Amino acid sequence: MSNAIDQTRRMLSLVTYLKERPGARVSDVARAFGVTEAELIGDLNVLPMCGTSFRGGDLLDIDTDGERIWWHNDAALGEAAQPLRLAADEATALLVAARAVATLPGLRDSDRQALLRAYAKLEAAAGEAAGASARLSVTFESEGSVFADVDRAIAERRRLWIRYYSPARDELTEREVDPIRLFAVGHTYFEAWCRLSEDRRMFRLDRVAEIKLLDAPADPPRLEPRDLSAGLVQPAGDDPEVVVEVGPGGRWVAEYYPHDSAEELPDGGLRITLRTPDPGSLRRLALRLGRDGRIVSPTALADSARAAARQALAAYGEE
Amino acid sequence: MAIAKAERLMNLALCLMNTRRPLSKRELRASVEAYREITSEEAFNRMFERDKDDLRELGLVIETVDAIDGETGYVARRDRNRLPEIALDAEEAAALSLAAKVWQQARLAAAASGALQKLRAAGVPFGESGYETAEGHRGYPHGMGAVIEPRIPAHEPAFEPLMLAARDRRPVSFDYRKSNAVRPEPRSVEPWALECWRGHWYLAGWDRDREARRVFRLSRITGRIRSRGGQFTVEVPDHVDVRQTVASWAGEGATATARIRLRRGAGYPLRARAVETMPAPGEWAAEWDELEIPYGHGLDAWLVEFGPDVVVLAPAELRDDVVDRLRAVARG
Repeated sequence: MSNAIDQTRRMLSLVTYLKERPGARVSDVARAFGVTEAELIGDLNVLPMCGTSFRGGDLLDIDTDGERIWWHNDAALGEAAQPLRLAADEATALLVAARAVATLPGLRDSDRQALLRAYAKLEAAAGEAAGASARLSVTFESEGSVFADVDRAIAERRRLWIRYYSPARDELTEREVDPIRLFAVGHTYFEAWCRLSEDRRMFRLDRVAEIKLLDAPADPPRLEPRDLSAGLVQPAGDDPEVVVEVGPGGRWVAEYYPHDSAEELPDGGLRITLRTPDPGSLRRLALRLGRDGRIVSPTALADSARAAARQALAAYGEE
Repeated sequence: MAIAKAERLMNLALCLMNTRRPLSKRELRASVEAYREITSEEAFNRMFERDKDDLRELGLVIETVDAIDGETGYVARRDRNRLPEIALDAEEAAALSLAAKVWQQARLAAAASGALQKLRAAGVPFGESGYETAEGHRGYPHGMGAVIEPRIPAHEPAFEPLMLAARDRRPVSFDYRKSNAVRPEPRSVEPWALECWRGHWYLAGWDRDREARRVFRLSRITGRIRSRGGQFTVEVPDHVDVRQTVASWAGEGATATARIRLRRGAGYPLRARAVETMPAPGEWAAEWDELEIPYGHGLDAWLVEFGPDVVVLAPAELRDDVVDRLRAVARG
C-alpha cells in the first residue's frame, strides 16, 4: 500500500490528524493509519518538503524524534488541515460494504443497528460522492438456522455433530467437528477441525443437512492462519492430475474449477489441466458435460463416467 | 533524483487548497518544485493534467475559473472540500471499520482504508475494533460472540474498468463469450450497475446493438474493456435488479415441476428441494423414492450428474434431454 496515490491520500489525512494531536506517538499514529512505523517515518520525511512555496515558503514544519511527532507551524497551511470530503470511490467502498454486511444473517442485532446508523450518517456526510455507490451491490447468503448453531458453537467453544452433503460423492456423512471460524465469500462457510478426516475442512452452510450442538468442548489443534484471498480451494502440488477437454459449451468449467492451465483449442474449446486429491469426485463433472466435453485422463475416471451413463441408460430401456 | 510523485501531488494539493484566489497554471508551475524541474512545456502540461485527475480521484474538488487576464485559474475551495460534521459513536465506528475490511479488490480496499483515514482525521473514534478469531483474524462479533469474516472477492480483470465506467457513465465495448458460444463477440454496452451474487460479479446495462437491457457475467468477458466516446443514450433505471435475472438463469423461480425416481440415500440436494417425496410404487419401493421437483433451466444437466441414481419419469421432454446427454457420455 505504498503507491503514490495511496501515500498522498494518507498524507493529506495525516496533516489533519497530526494538527489536532501535538506530540502524538509514532507507534499510535502508525497503528491508527494501518501502516508500519517505517512507512509512517517515510511519510514524515516527505511532509516537510510540502507546502505552498509560492507564498514565500510556507512548508510544513513537521518533525519527529522517532518516537513522537511535532508540528511547529500549525498556524500556517491551516486550510490544508481541515477534514477532507470523501472521494466517490471512498464513499462507494464503505457504503457498499456496509450495505452488504448488514444483510448477513446471524449478525448480532445491535451490530446491525450500529452499522445501519453509521451508514446513514456516512451517506449524509459523503453528499454527492455517495451517488456512485448505487452502481455496486453485493449480497451474502447463508442458511439461517445452521448459522445460528455454528455461531453458538464457536462462541461457547463446543463440538458440533453434522450430517454433511458431499457433492463429490453424492452422499451424506456424519462427522464431529470443532468449528474455528465462519466466513462468507459468496456462500457462507465455516472452517473446522474435522475429527473424521483429522484435518481442517471447509463446510458450506447450505450443504449441512442436519446439525447438533454437543456438550463436548471443541479442541481444535493450533493451526496456522490460512490466507483465503487466493481462493477457497487450493489444491496441493502432489494431488493427481486430471485433463478435461471441453467444447465451447463447456468453457464454464474453467470458471468454476481452479486449474493449472487452460489451453485454447481450435474449435473454441479448452484443454483444462487441474489437480484434485480425489479424481473420482469429477465423475459428476464428466456426466454433466455430456457432449460438451470429456475426461482425457486418467482413463479410469473416463471409464467410470461411461459406465455410469450406460447403467443409467439401461433404466430407460437402452443398452 | 526526481522528486517523488506523492510529494508533487501533496504540493499541488496544498497550493490549491491554501489559496484565496484561483491560481494560474504558470503560478502553480512556479510554486511546485517538481514542476520547476521540468524543462519541456509539453511534458509539464501532460503531468499537470494527470496530477489534477489523480487529486480528483482522491476526492478533491478542483474548480477551473476563467481569470480576468485570459488565463485559466485553479482553486480547491475550502467549503467544497470540507467533510461535513460526522459524529459516530464507538459502536458505529467499530461496525464501519470492520465492514471496510471486506474488499479483496485492491482499488476498493485502498479506497476503504483511505476513507477510514479521513474519518479518523475528522475525529471519528475508531479504536481497536472487532473480536479476534482463534486464528488471529478480526471479524464481526456474532450472536453469542463468535465471529464472522465476510469477504467480497473481485478477481475478474474487467471489474475495475467497468466499475469506473459505470460510475462515470461512460459507454464501453468488450468481447464477450456467451456460455455456449464458440468465440467471443464484440458488445457495445452502456454499463449501469455491477452486482456480486454467490461470489461472482455481473454487469447490467444497455446493449446498444441489441437495443435491450442485458446482464453479463464478468468472468466471460475476454480481453480489455475499451472506453467509447460520447454519452449514454438511454436513461439509467433507478433500480437495476441483476439478481433476479441471474437467478432465472440458474433455474430458480421455476413454476413447472418434474417427476423423478431417486435411489434411496442418494441425491440429498434434490430431496431438499422436492415439493413431494414418497416411496416409489411396486417393486421399486424397496430401494427407490419418487420425487416431484421444480423444473427450471438447467435441470437436465444437473440430473445427469447423479448417473444411474436418477430416472426421469416426466415430462417426456426432460426425459429425452437427459437420455440425450447420457448417450453422449456413454459414447465418450
